[in-house]
Amino acid sequence: MHEIALTNISYAYSQQAVLEDINFTAAAGEFVCLLGPSGCGKSTLLRLLAGLAAPSSGTITLDGKPISGPGLDRGVVFQDYSLFPWMTAGQNVVLALEQAFPDRPKAKLRETAQSYLEMVGLNGVFHKLPGALSGGMRQRAAIARAFAINSPVLLMDEPFGALDAITRARLQDLLLQLWQQNAAERKTVFFVTHDVEEAILLASRVVVMGLNPGSVRGIFPVDIPRPRQRQSLYSDSSFLTLRDRLIAELHADVLDELDEGRTIRTAGEGI
Amino acid sequence: MAKIQILPNILFALLLVILATTAGAGLPIHLMVLALAIHLVYLLRYVLAGDASTKTSSGDVAAILYVFFLIWYLTTGPFAILDKMLFPKPEDVLKLFVAELPDMLKGLVNSLILLVGGYLLALVTGIPLGLLVGWRVRLFKAVNPITKVLGPIPPIVYIPYAIALLPSFRAASIFVIFIGAFWPIFINTVHGVFNIPKGLVDSARVLNLREGTLLYRVILPGAMPSICTGATLALVFSLVLLAAAELIGANSGIGWYVKNFADFADYQRVIVGIIFISIVVTTITWGTERIERRLLRWRN
Repeated sequence: MHEIALTNISYAYSQQAVLEDINFTAAAGEFVCLLGPSGCGKSTLLRLLAGLAAPSSGTITLDGKPISGPGLDRGVVFQDYSLFPWMTAGQNVVLALEQAFPDRPKAKLRETAQSYLEMVGLNGVFHKLPGALSGGMRQRAAIARAFAINSPVLLMDEPFGALDAITRARLQDLLLQLWQQNAAERKTVFFVTHDVEEAILLASRVVVMGLNPGSVRGIFPVDIPRPRQRQSLYSDSSFLTLRDRLIAELHADVLDELDEGRTIRTAGEGI
Repeated sequence: MAKIQILPNILFALLLVILATTAGAGLPIHLMVLALAIHLVYLLRYVLAGDASTKTSSGDVAAILYVFFLIWYLTTGPFAILDKMLFPKPEDVLKLFVAELPDMLKGLVNSLILLVGGYLLALVTGIPLGLLVGWRVRLFKAVNPITKVLGPIPPIVYIPYAIALLPSFRAASIFVIFIGAFWPIFINTVHGVFNIPKGLVDSARVLNLREGTLLYRVILPGAMPSICTGATLALVFSLVLLAAAELIGANSGIGWYVKNFADFADYQRVIVGIIFISIVVTTITWGTERIERRLLRWRN
């Protein structure tokens, strides 16, 4: 049971309303994608979930208990800066493990870190600094760290946003594989993205957010059975229908925002 | 292997020939040995350097040195157009340098006690305080106005008061060097904390690190580039203040050496002292640069 409930969440930053009246409940083990255009407050919402900021009003609860600050019950992966550049990949994972399991001996933690790095396909990078790794490898290490602390909740803020298409696809597959691995202890995931296809591929439910101020425009269950095959997905009729719905939903908002530029926004492009 | 460079080799040969042919009775052995040493270093660098631009530049540096010594030698020796007292011959200066080395090394120990004492004191107080002030907004807001007033005071003005206030010259000098080194280290540490990317701080916060762990393992290394800048600046200030303090009140030390013999118009020893100081400073700078490169290895 790792249910997350958001009740009447509003958030304002220096008099400017960023989020307004968000209500949503993620069931335990659910994979939720927060989809929306830039500036809709989806990353802010994730920061509230992470406890990095507090909502101006409303409550967020994890298994009924209100979230009052950061905690190791929620693993977080950001787009950049997830790893500390002055520590090796291994030290980065070990640092997180030290917080999660302060009683375990250091040697044991190092072993654990090593095995999680290998699990995400990173062999032989334990002693490498993040600067010596590619962007994809850094995000793999960040995912390894998030899974290593064994938190029931995983929060990801556009983790693959800065990666090329192939690396991104590989990491999406890796993430799904890790998430599905252990059905009994499946993590509740919040995944922020502005990529419609990524949202459909990953999510159990897609929460579409709108602009000015950020609010939930619609919640769309994704009924495509798992494991989802990337190849067949693009010809799947329910995928295509849902994709068109989501794009229409996103565009309605963006077109309100822009007077010109109706023609340059095309399907599936990051907006 | 690239072709032999013409310029430095020609100049080297020219220098040796001129020295040998114009000296008359006493050959300038010290100067010749120095030229030979420079050439050996140059050849070694030339052979060991990987890229062509390093080879070229080490040749250029050697060439400049030969021209410098050639001009110095000719204007003080064979042509003697410069004032003899203010511009001693290179051979005399080098000979005296060797003779004075033991005394200067003894003075150096006294100087280093002041320098290292004041500078280390500034490091061990400036960095932790800077981290704390940079990290805690309320503390920063309380301290910042004070920093703005006290920071820019030129530390040299403290010297007379420090000498009156403190029991010994040594304590006064360490105090002044400490003050001079503290502000650049402290201020740059504070700014280093401010300049840590917000995403890194968030990453640290979601790990729920204890404040001590956070400061030591995230904020300190995150601020390290700026701390190094401050520490380098502070070292330069410290050296200036060391020299100033010794000019005012010391009875030994590398700055005192120069001042003392200038009082006796012994400019040959003044030049010897300046050369010795430049060697010391270069060595210190070289060492700190290596430490800095090691601390900031992760940036490349």
